[in-house]
Amino acid sequence: MSGGSGGGARRAAWIRFATLWRREANRFMKIKKQTIGAPLLETFLYISVFGAALGSRIDKLHGIDYVVFVIPGLIMMAFSINAFANNSSSILQQKFQGAIQDQLSSPASPAELLLAFSLGGFARGLLVATLTFLASSLLVDLPVEHALVLVPALFLVGFFFSQLGVLVGVRAEQFDDVAFAQTFVLQPLIFLGGVFYSATLLPEPWETLTRFNPLYYMINLVRYGFVGYTEVSVALSLAALAAATAVLFAVNLRLFTRGYKLRA
Amino acid sequence: MSEPSQTNEPALRIVDLRKRYPNGVEALRGVSLDIAEGELFGLLGPNGAGKSTLIHCTTGLAQPTGGEIRIFGHDAIHDYTRARQAVGLAPQELNVDWFLTVEETLDYHGGYFGMPKRERRRRAAELLETFALTEKRDERTRTLSGGMKRRLILARAVMHRPRLLILDEPTAGVDVELRLELWHYVRRINEEGTTILLTTHYLEEAEQLCDRIAFIAEGRIAAEGTSTELARRFGVPNLEDAYLALVGREELSRSHIEVAG
Repeated sequence: MSGGSGGGARRAAWIRFATLWRREANRFMKIKKQTIGAPLLETFLYISVFGAALGSRIDKLHGIDYVVFVIPGLIMMAFSINAFANNSSSILQQKFQGAIQDQLSSPASPAELLLAFSLGGFARGLLVATLTFLASSLLVDLPVEHALVLVPALFLVGFFFSQLGVLVGVRAEQFDDVAFAQTFVLQPLIFLGGVFYSATLLPEPWETLTRFNPLYYMINLVRYGFVGYTEVSVALSLAALAAATAVLFAVNLRLFTRGYKLRA
Repeated sequence: MSEPSQTNEPALRIVDLRKRYPNGVEALRGVSLDIAEGELFGLLGPNGAGKSTLIHCTTGLAQPTGGEIRIFGHDAIHDYTRARQAVGLAPQELNVDWFLTVEETLDYHGGYFGMPKRERRRRAAELLETFALTEKRDERTRTLSGGMKRRLILARAVMHRPRLLILDEPTAGVDVELRLELWHYVRRINEEGTTILLTTHYLEEAEQLCDRIAFIAEGRIAAEGTSTELARRFGVPNLEDAYLALVGREELSRSHIEVAG
């Protein structure tokens, strides 16, 4: 059990990882009104306001109904914000309670800890995004034009923001730090990344500035996956997103291995 | 969970352990210590002496800046999986996970240490009984009283059947009844073969329970031995006076009060 035989060690590692992940999922499911219910409601308020209320007065955008144009961005937003918020809050809370010591003093490796923390937020983001997709499909005719782009794009977006949540949670020393990252950095980047509009409609210099926002590329990838419309190169954006996610994972793994702000 | 003893390695061997925190505080300045398998070893020292830092370095919660730690022969830094598998820690702080119930706390801890589900369930039920927590098994941990949290933390520490149990001030702030219950339990598992490292501020506790005691002060081991040996070393009648001599507060000795009285 303590690593004597290869098979035994692998099994123990798997049990450790599965338990660490289960703890993360258990946490958000125990407060699901806040972690699942609230983001779902928020997304539907956006759909109601921008889709049903305003959407009927807006012409088609690039030949796509406005509400259908908006929903892919909302799905991407739900995935990313929930993945991020879950991990940053969970890690900071555990640091505050000191409960994280039980995990840090276990035989779990830095990679096991990092992956389990990451996949907690990923699972919550995926759940909210899936529920948003299913409910949206009931309300409007939402196509899936390029599943082979959509699935990897959403997977990478979720994993990227899971990693970002872990990074912010580990670095944070107070809840203000987490709230700042979400409210003053993430949220504006998402809103200004073209969830609700096409950047081509913006006057200069805003159209050009939007192209410096990494979220713009993520939103376009997901929108392309659903409705087949994009303002950016799909292959380049996917490759850049994959590279950024890999770099972020490598940075986090290094921090976990060094015990940065986790082990004194 | 733990491997059977195969060697004559000490349960814990610490060699020239040093820890300097990023803020420059030198908490450990070359601590060396051997605890034999089966011993019940006490670590005494004033606040800030380095007791918790030593424990944190041993369990991976702090990273030493120098020296070596071996747990049953396994390097605690480079072979941490095996080393930590053999250690159970009941920390000083009541650091229970608020999102978990009492039973989940034990079950998850067992999982973090690689115990299969069936074994976790059996062991958790057994410990809930031992620590009189069965009725509270489905309650969230934050609803527990301080004494119950203390019992849960000890149950959690022994959940994976560690061969070395580290108790960091296990009886701080608990009532007399619980203190005696904890003493009985600690003595019992020690008799059953678990090696124990205990830190405490209560000299009586160290005297009652420990085979050997080390005094730690300013990040160094100042003296080590049985309580009689320590008293003799400081030329005083008992462990308390030896401790007072260590911290330079001989005037507080009870013998003065008795004489004055």
